[in-house]
Amino acid sequence: MDSAHGLGRMLEEMARKQKKRQALLFDNREVSYRELDENANKIANGLQSLGITRGDRVAMMLPNIPDFVYSFFGIQKLGAVAVPFNTMYKGREIIHILNDCEAKAIITMTNFANLINEIQEDVPSLQHIILTGQRTMVFVSPDSTVNVQMVVGKDRFASGDEAFRVVGELLIDTLKSFGVEAWYKHRGGVRCGGRKIAIVLVSEVENLLVINCITFLGPLKTDDFFRVVWVAPEVKDKVMEPTTSVEEQTGTRPSLELFKDALLAALQSRLGISAEEGQLKRDELFGYEKTRALADKK
Amino acid sequence: MADTWRLIFNPEGDAADMVAYASALVEGRIAGKYMLSTEKLPDTLVVQGFRQKGILAGADVDINKDTAKKYDIKVANYPRSGRGGPKPVGTVNLAEVLKTSSRKFNAVETAPDDPAVLLYTSGTTGRPKGVTLTHRNFAQQCINVSKVLPLDESDTIVLVLPLFHVYGLSNGLISGVYFGTRMTLVPQYSPAKLLEAIEHSKATVLIAIPTMYMHLLQIARTRKASIPKSLRLCVSGGAPLSLTTLREFEEAFQTRIAEGYGLTETTSSVCLNKSGEAFKPGSIGPAAEGVEMRVFDDNDAEVPDGQEGEIVIRSDVVTPGYWNNPEETAEAIRDGWLHTGDLGYRDADGFFFITDRKKDLIIRGGFNISPREIEELLFTHPAIQDAAVIAVHDKRDREAVKACVVLHEGQSVTEREVLDFCSQNLADYKVPKYVEFRPSLPKSATGKILRKELREGYHDDRLLDKQSAGRKEQPHG
Repeated sequence: MDSAHGLGRMLEEMARKQKKRQALLFDNREVSYRELDENANKIANGLQSLGITRGDRVAMMLPNIPDFVYSFFGIQKLGAVAVPFNTMYKGREIIHILNDCEAKAIITMTNFANLINEIQEDVPSLQHIILTGQRTMVFVSPDSTVNVQMVVGKDRFASGDEAFRVVGELLIDTLKSFGVEAWYKHRGGVRCGGRKIAIVLVSEVENLLVINCITFLGPLKTDDFFRVVWVAPEVKDKVMEPTTSVEEQTGTRPSLELFKDALLAALQSRLGISAEEGQLKRDELFGYEKTRALADKK
Repeated sequence: MADTWRLIFNPEGDAADMVAYASALVEGRIAGKYMLSTEKLPDTLVVQGFRQKGILAGADVDINKDTAKKYDIKVANYPRSGRGGPKPVGTVNLAEVLKTSSRKFNAVETAPDDPAVLLYTSGTTGRPKGVTLTHRNFAQQCINVSKVLPLDESDTIVLVLPLFHVYGLSNGLISGVYFGTRMTLVPQYSPAKLLEAIEHSKATVLIAIPTMYMHLLQIARTRKASIPKSLRLCVSGGAPLSLTTLREFEEAFQTRIAEGYGLTETTSSVCLNKSGEAFKPGSIGPAAEGVEMRVFDDNDAEVPDGQEGEIVIRSDVVTPGYWNNPEETAEAIRDGWLHTGDLGYRDADGFFFITDRKKDLIIRGGFNISPREIEELLFTHPAIQDAAVIAVHDKRDREAVKACVVLHEGQSVTEREVLDFCSQNLADYKVPKYVEFRPSLPKSATGKILRKELREGYHDDRLLDKQSAGRKEQPHG
């Protein structure tokens, strides 16, 4: 390889020479050099449309999956700088790296979305979070978790950040009524003494926001879950970072009914919104059944 | 915008309800938007409890159904997202980029000295530093590999080492593409998965660390009949590989193992001790072609063969420096020579031997760990007055992190609390394995912590005893 041409050209030339030759084997899938090259091109085009140009730093927090390879060479084709780092790193370490290199974008697993969401505020240079792969895993248990969902028009909040903040504050108010002092960390983490007591994820689809919150009323015991689902050790502490619960903080676990009432009170006092109990409508029930069937399918 | 929301209260739900409700509400609203529905649907709040334990996971998560049944755990999948499923706000979906972007792109012309990659590595001074690696660095590394271990299109390499580490990235992925090889990706290491990947892809080249060779050998011993024999070449690096393991592995897998030595700052390997050819037990081998390697004294003068000094390297594989860090760069690269921080000597045949480490670095599984970084974290704990972090050896004789901690008067903290505090802030491999509470730390007259005294009784097995040069030695990658 002539070093004048760089790593992006290196792949380009190899793909021209070895079009059909297999480049990657993964999980019984095969990717040829041509496909690898085209996927790298797609990433390069995608990054370019986000405003990434030659010399910009793009962080990568990915295991050895094809997306690592596509992303790495996509970055090289743009003449940008790849900053791959250890997927075991935690918030503090990630903040240091992203700030030190002033990364404009990060490519990572959806599993880590919560982690990156929370630190984004501490990394002023970071403009884009690019996600791939499995969504965050959620564990639920009758003794421990309550799930709160909101589906609202986008115009309900000024921005995604605002939705995160307002919902975080609603949960803090709710927890406070049980005597728990929690605080809100940027985008999605409600914590109590460094441990998570609630998790918020705000998603968007068309003109709607879908907000999911899990709150821990009692301690979440994860042993059974990890017997059932194989989780890479490096992902494990992202799936389950240290948690606490209302019961662990106060000695008492509130009933679901009490939690609901406290949440409605917070909704009323903070946003002036009341809620009336209702049911799913006919169209909605159809969607509900359909999704349940899909979710139950193996 | 009505200020009354609809509340749906379902105390007896399960894991599948979490996606089903969201999807029902979204579909209902979107249908309304396109006037497929006559009903105007309000903003909605769902409060849901659970009647049984449950897991909600991506469709491709590995789940043990029998165990789930046994423990009464409901398993629900996110349905594979079709067009326009919900995505976290303010993020970009990579799959969508791959689906919608053009597959044509002309690679931007780069200059040879443009940075291509920054790799963060722990030094002795605390927080990780970004090692800048240029297109020229990688090109030179590929050329060096082509001289010592040429690969070609008929080879299949196993990429099991993490690609975010210099060894897997440079000698695995980038060399792999340079030679047009087939590469088999292993996203998560387990001995069985690695063996399966070798078998399934009929791999010819394995690049790994000593622990992996040891594990493979252990499995191979229990299932003699089916040891894959396709590997023509193996490379080991990151830590020393015992001569016994090397020989037994070669025998069982009918292959050859070459041991490499390199640093992040040298784009990975700079020398290779090749079993079966000129090979000296305990050596890291001669310098590769394209690499100048010498031994300097404290005044940067070269010492004669056989005399100990610091190993220094000059080559196009050497980094131009640390990102945004001219001081550290000037400290490490003097007069064009990268000072490795490894002490050693060269014998009369030009083979290098490592004897000690100049810096207080801890190396675990090929990852550098800075004692300073962990100490600085410990200093932020309100109960801790002073701390020193050193390397000790665990039961399996690998380097492990030990924290020696002095508490403020009147404070008490348990070992568990110190470890929890570390886990919340550090990657798992950096979290100390042992905590020792001490009344004070041994210090020099100038206040420098005397780590040697703390380490007393612990033998550093990375250090080669010159008199009994029988053990192998390979520092970091």
